[in-house]
Amino acid sequence: MNENRRQILEMLAAGKITAEEADHLLAAIEPDATTTTEFNGRIAGSNGSAETPVKTRSKYLRVLVEADESMTGLKGPTTVNVRVPMQLLRAGVRLASLIPKQAHDQLDEALNRHGVPLTLSQIKPENLEELIEHLEDLTVDVDGKDGNTTKVRVFCE
Amino acid sequence: MTPNIAIIHIETPHWRSIPLWVPLFLLWIPAIILSPVIFLVILGLSLAGKLNPWRSFRVLWDLLCALPGTHVRVTADGTNVRVRIL
Repeated sequence: MNENRRQILEMLAAGKITAEEADHLLAAIEPDATTTTEFNGRIAGSNGSAETPVKTRSKYLRVLVEADESMTGLKGPTTVNVRVPMQLLRAGVRLASLIPKQAHDQLDEALNRHGVPLTLSQIKPENLEELIEHLEDLTVDVDGKDGNTTKVRVFCE
Repeated sequence: MTPNIAIIHIETPHWRSIPLWVPLFLLWIPAIILSPVIFLVILGLSLAGKLNPWRSFRVLWDLLCALPGTHVRVTADGTNVRVRIL
C-alpha cells in the first residue's frame, strides 16, 4: 500500500478527518489517468468529429548551457547538455524529505541568505506531482550581459 | 528498472574513442556480496538520523531505478564527452 494512502486511511481511522475529506485526499494523490497520458496527439470526440488536444506528459528535463571563450578561458565554445528523466527528479524530491530537520533549517537559512526564499521542508511528496506538473510548462532562458554570451536553457520535453 | 549499461564516448581533436559500453549490471555481483554491509550502513545511518529505514531504502532504490535515460554531453576545448545511462 502506498504510504500517502496509508497515512490518509490512518487519519480517517483515528477520526482526524471525515470520510469525505479522506475521499478528496485520496483523489488528489491518485492522478486521473484521463488527464495525464503518455500519448502525444489528439483524441477524437464521442461523435468522432471534434478533436480534443491531449496534454503530453514530459519525460525529461533538459538543461543546456553554452558559454563562449571569454567566460571559460578555454579554446572554443563550451557546451553542457544534460537530459534528466523526470522520474529522477521525483526520486530527488523524495530524497529531500529524508534530510534531517536540523539540516533543513540550515539549508533554508543559507538559501535565504543568498536571496533564494525557498523553504525546503515545504517540498513534500504530497505536492510533488503538482510541482512536476508546473515544471512541465517551464522554460528558462538566460542570456549573459553585454560581452558575456552565456546561455542557459531549462525546459521539459 | 535499474541501470544496466552506461555508454561513454570521448572525442578529442586528435583522437576519437570507440563507444565504451560499461556493463553496470555486473555491479550486482559485488552489490549482492556486500548487501549485508550496505544494509547495516543504511540502517545505521537511518537510525542515527531518526529516519524510517524502510523509507530510506525505498528512496535510494527509486533514485537508482530513475537513472536510466540520463544523458550528459559536455563539449569544451575541442573535447566532447558523452555519457548515456541505459
